[in-house]
Amino acid sequence: MSVKDRFLGRMLDNRMGLKASVSSWAVRVPNNPERLAFILHRLTGILLVGFITLHIISTNTPARAGWEAWVEEVERLGGVNIVSLLFFIAMGALAFHSINGIRLLLVEFLALGIGRPEKPKPPYIPPSFKGFQRNLLYIAFALSIIVWIAMGYVIFLMG
Amino acid sequence: MAFDLKAATRRPPSPVRVFVKRYDPVSGRVWWQAYTIKTYKGMTVLDALLSIKSDVDHTLTFRYSCRMGVCGSCGVVVNGTPKLACQTQIAEAASPASPELRVEPLYNFKVVRDLTTDFTEFFEKHRFIRPHTIRSDLIEREKPTLEYSQSPGELSEYYQYSLCIMCGLCDSACPVYASDTSFLGPQALTQAYRYLADTRDEGWILRLKELDSDGSPFKCHFAASCSAVCPKSVDPAGAVQRLRSSLLKYKLRIYRKKKVSQVVPPMKEAKPIVPLPPEATLIEGVDIKKLEEEPPQIPVEKLLY
Repeated sequence: MSVKDRFLGRMLDNRMGLKASVSSWAVRVPNNPERLAFILHRLTGILLVGFITLHIISTNTPARAGWEAWVEEVERLGGVNIVSLLFFIAMGALAFHSINGIRLLLVEFLALGIGRPEKPKPPYIPPSFKGFQRNLLYIAFALSIIVWIAMGYVIFLMG
Repeated sequence: MAFDLKAATRRPPSPVRVFVKRYDPVSGRVWWQAYTIKTYKGMTVLDALLSIKSDVDHTLTFRYSCRMGVCGSCGVVVNGTPKLACQTQIAEAASPASPELRVEPLYNFKVVRDLTTDFTEFFEKHRFIRPHTIRSDLIEREKPTLEYSQSPGELSEYYQYSLCIMCGLCDSACPVYASDTSFLGPQALTQAYRYLADTRDEGWILRLKELDSDGSPFKCHFAASCSAVCPKSVDPAGAVQRLRSSLLKYKLRIYRKKKVSQVVPPMKEAKPIVPLPPEATLIEGVDIKKLEEEPPQIPVEKLLY
């Protein structure tokens, strides 16, 4: 007599999938700016892949139509237009992605700023949230905004 | 997880509407069901579910055991945050402005029925990292003579990570675990680091080799949601960063285990009592030898106050 599977129904897979790494509202976790940084890092990474692909395609004018066409195209790009606006967004993504990337390298590979293990005591705040990496995170947010504003000045007012 | 320590002293709104995400495995139907219950001061989400089961709907299925945050059976998602149902006050989750509560099964797990989730994959991943100390002295393991030596400083290196109750909240909150089925998850990686940091363990080459071939520590991206939801403050995010740092050192061939504990040597004979120096003066009328033989009895009232 064979042993029958007693579970008659099927199980529901409750995996969130990519939604969890793109939407910050998918799982609500209090006291967690690192997750916001993680989501922004993913989104800016996807944006940068698109930007670099488009940038390589758009800068092949000299190979396609010669150097005169290239000079004409560059002269048309001055001031505020849709291309410079897209460029501004891509530069913001680049600023955040690079600065946050340096922070992640420090924290993930050198294990810097995550505190020492301790005996948990009320109100149960883990040591990695009390460590220096929180300050690094705020510095990364502030620096990327400053760099983005500077990029905007260069693109819109000096270009 | 930082708890709202004064939540239990507040009176929750009454009545409260509890929305439960239910699943029927036979028909495959998923639906939200609303229940209205009366609350009292100090009522938890688990108490609310129990009162629904006893008074309103006996078909509601959920898992619980100890009711005090020790066993880790009652992990559910309350208002979008993975929490232990027994540690979450109704006053914390529902406010008088919106007397509502959403209870779902844990994310990233398979649902058996209603709020009950299947932990097979979770335990398999925990088993993969070999959750036990590995030693080469087999004779000592089989017939132990004395304990392995370990200082309090060495204990504090891994003590926090050994508090894990395997409730699965960290895996439920992890965004990488949500999209990658081969990722071991914060819980298993934390336990891997717990045994790597233990000085009584000798199998660090085996552990690091297996973790390197699996590649899981490098899939973590430090979203740190695991530490934010952990009910025991185990800090999985910090443990995974330390594990990755150790693994990188191992790949660069500069990783050295600080120390491997050996069996403590047999205890030496008790040291003789140091005699008093000749210049020491004693209180008049005190006989030391008599005191050693008959220690003075201190009354209980003096000990209490």
